[in-house]
Amino acid sequence: MSNAILVVGGGFSGLTAAIEAAELGHDVYIVEKSPWLGGRVAQLNKYFPKLCPPSCGLEIQFQRIRKNPRIHVLTMAEVVGLSGQKGDYNVRVAIKPRKTPPHNVDFTFLASSLDGTTPSEFDLGLSERKGLYKAMPFAYPARYVLDTDTLSKADMARLAANEKLNMDEEPREVSLQVGAIVVATGWKPYDVTNLSNLGAGSVKNCVSNMQLERLASPFGPTQGNIVRPSDGRIPHNVAFVQCAGSRDQNHLNFCSYICCMATLKHCLYLAEQHPQTEVTVFYIDLRAPGRYVKVLEKVQALPNVHFIKGKVANVEQGKDNTCVIQAEDAIRGEKLTLNYDMVVLATGMQPSLATEKLPLPVPVDSDGFITGGEEAGIYACGCALMPLDVTRSAQSGTAAALKAVQTVKGR
Amino acid sequence: MAQCLIKPDIDFARSLSEAGGESLKKCYQCATCAVACPMAPANAPYPRKEMVWASWGLKDKLTSDVDIWLCHNCGNCSDLCPRGANPADVMSAARNTVYKTLTEPTCVGELMSKPQGLPILFGIPALLWLIVWWLRAGFNGGTWFPTRADGSIVFGDIFYGDYTIDPIFMLTFFGALFIIARGAMKLWKMFSPEGKLTVVGEKKCWVWHLWDVLVEEVIFATHFDDCQKGPKTGKPEAGRRVGHTILVWAFCALAFVTAVVALGHWGGKVIPAIEITTPLKPLNLIKIIANVGALMLVVGLAMLTIRRFMENKKTHTSNYYDWYLLGVIWAVALTGIFSQIFRLAEAVGPAFLVYYLHLVFVWMLFAYLPWSKLGHLVYRTVALLHVRMYGRKY
Repeated sequence: MSNAILVVGGGFSGLTAAIEAAELGHDVYIVEKSPWLGGRVAQLNKYFPKLCPPSCGLEIQFQRIRKNPRIHVLTMAEVVGLSGQKGDYNVRVAIKPRKTPPHNVDFTFLASSLDGTTPSEFDLGLSERKGLYKAMPFAYPARYVLDTDTLSKADMARLAANEKLNMDEEPREVSLQVGAIVVATGWKPYDVTNLSNLGAGSVKNCVSNMQLERLASPFGPTQGNIVRPSDGRIPHNVAFVQCAGSRDQNHLNFCSYICCMATLKHCLYLAEQHPQTEVTVFYIDLRAPGRYVKVLEKVQALPNVHFIKGKVANVEQGKDNTCVIQAEDAIRGEKLTLNYDMVVLATGMQPSLATEKLPLPVPVDSDGFITGGEEAGIYACGCALMPLDVTRSAQSGTAAALKAVQTVKGR
Repeated sequence: MAQCLIKPDIDFARSLSEAGGESLKKCYQCATCAVACPMAPANAPYPRKEMVWASWGLKDKLTSDVDIWLCHNCGNCSDLCPRGANPADVMSAARNTVYKTLTEPTCVGELMSKPQGLPILFGIPALLWLIVWWLRAGFNGGTWFPTRADGSIVFGDIFYGDYTIDPIFMLTFFGALFIIARGAMKLWKMFSPEGKLTVVGEKKCWVWHLWDVLVEEVIFATHFDDCQKGPKTGKPEAGRRVGHTILVWAFCALAFVTAVVALGHWGGKVIPAIEITTPLKPLNLIKIIANVGALMLVVGLAMLTIRRFMENKKTHTSNYYDWYLLGVIWAVALTGIFSQIFRLAEAVGPAFLVYYLHLVFVWMLFAYLPWSKLGHLVYRTVALLHVRMYGRKY
């Protein structure tokens, strides 16, 4: 029997669940697949409705983790096996080698001296990263990762002599005794290469909404300047393609809930940075749930933001790396063929479990959202459960923590 | 803005569902379909507006809509439709409604709209040709399967041209022509907008427009290729143009043969020099054209039928109108070919039976043409002519 709780996934809902449970006096293990905590929120420039940067909410969570000895963070780690039953689980966790020392060594200069590069996962392919890297300045844990596959031969030779790095570190496996499990595996942006009629990710200057977040982020590939990736020019006009792959039985059969709000937020980014830029939002329905309708009203009042009802169904490359889009203005009954400097596909959120299997007894629906598991002491939260914004992710994290605590309490 | 009083017709929406547009209720008017269709014009594109008319049961709007005939049913809209509302099927169902209700007597349209009508539709020519057979058997001393002295079979001994086949088919053909011409004129009036429409730019006489339509659309079916120009759907090209063109050319060859034989037969009574007597010898040029036509018919049919079977059933459904037409043409082609084979093989029983069936199916093809999918030959031509007169290409 164990009072400890396992949290799978170190994004916003997972962190919240872990902290809440730990602050109630339980040992908590966070198993995070990527090298740092923060998940998708860490990639954002700002979050609505207050438009504060992620350092705001996330930094507070990191502080709470840092100060709480009950929270054990395992990064680059994945759950690979589970045995036992509710209240008494034995979880096997595989940990990939980080190859850097456990204490926070600053490798900034060493990293900048390396040659080999690979497209950055964190910047969604908009920039290149080195073989020794840290995704963002306030990353937690504030440790670099050594990815030997990306190193050039010269890099290898240069790093071989470094006594702080362990190029030969092996993957290892640990096993954890826990009483309950919180699944916070979150989401990923829907793969644009599936959207054949929207250019399948091959049209230049046609980016996804998460890529735009990286462009707008001060720690992103353009230091926060929203410019065209192809030539770094400020776009004169930008089109937003809503429901790119969402509410579509050929792609994501559900409404992703946040893309409308994300686009409204992006309109505000653009209006702030480039007030002259004309922005057009092509939508089927605009969904601004609850109090977010205020954001919609604010954006609708902007002079250079226009809304057209009609889904964009064709995106092609135009002259000078512009994007040509086609949509029917369904109110006027006119088919439009328009040229834009930049097009943003408001892609939806696909639950991570839609494409990845977790060795836990949790049922998922046809879309990949978790539909049960509570009888086994396994509680889902965040976007593994349904599409949610950050606030509601945090709430669902707290809810899952409470259920997990009730499962293990009193032992 | 002029106010429009909407009179929804629930029965119509329901009948449309029955005619093949079952999925239309799923539509949420995102307008993907209008972009997916490369043929839809920039101004008032289709089929989104048809989808809303159909779900609201606006029968008048939908049946008088010229755009349902400009759709070539490539299915790009259904492939990209995010809801599986299958606009292509709805357009097809709307066309079927026109086949059913456009021309009098509409009771035929009613029978043609569902498989339950098939026994009656088949029974009429079956009885007709049976009476002919019975009458003629009397002339042959009561022999229902006569052979000549040399053992050869002449269908004319039973289905005699001058007094039975030719008059009946001429009546049928011109009757159907009359009915479909009335339908075409009615359709033209329905297409025409209220008031006067000014056409800017170069104008052509309708005859030249008709010529363009016949050459581009009917003879070469070029617009099937235009269907491929839309947004990428990720599905392989259908290649419908080849099958359809082969079928049209086969019909042209067979119509040519029929015309030549009719001219030779009836003209021969006035000018003996051009007389043609049937059956023709196998190596006669006309006979060769006829047989090549028959083979092309089978090839074209096979291509179109296989394509329908290979279609993704989720996004494209072939409805009863599609299968009726394919079925009747298959029956015409196969009975035609086999009656010739049995005739040459001197298998007298099968030869007359199959030839009898051939006559039944040919009569069905012609007599029910205005209410069958084959009506698109005329109705689509009328629609294309209409839009070209108003400056649209398609």
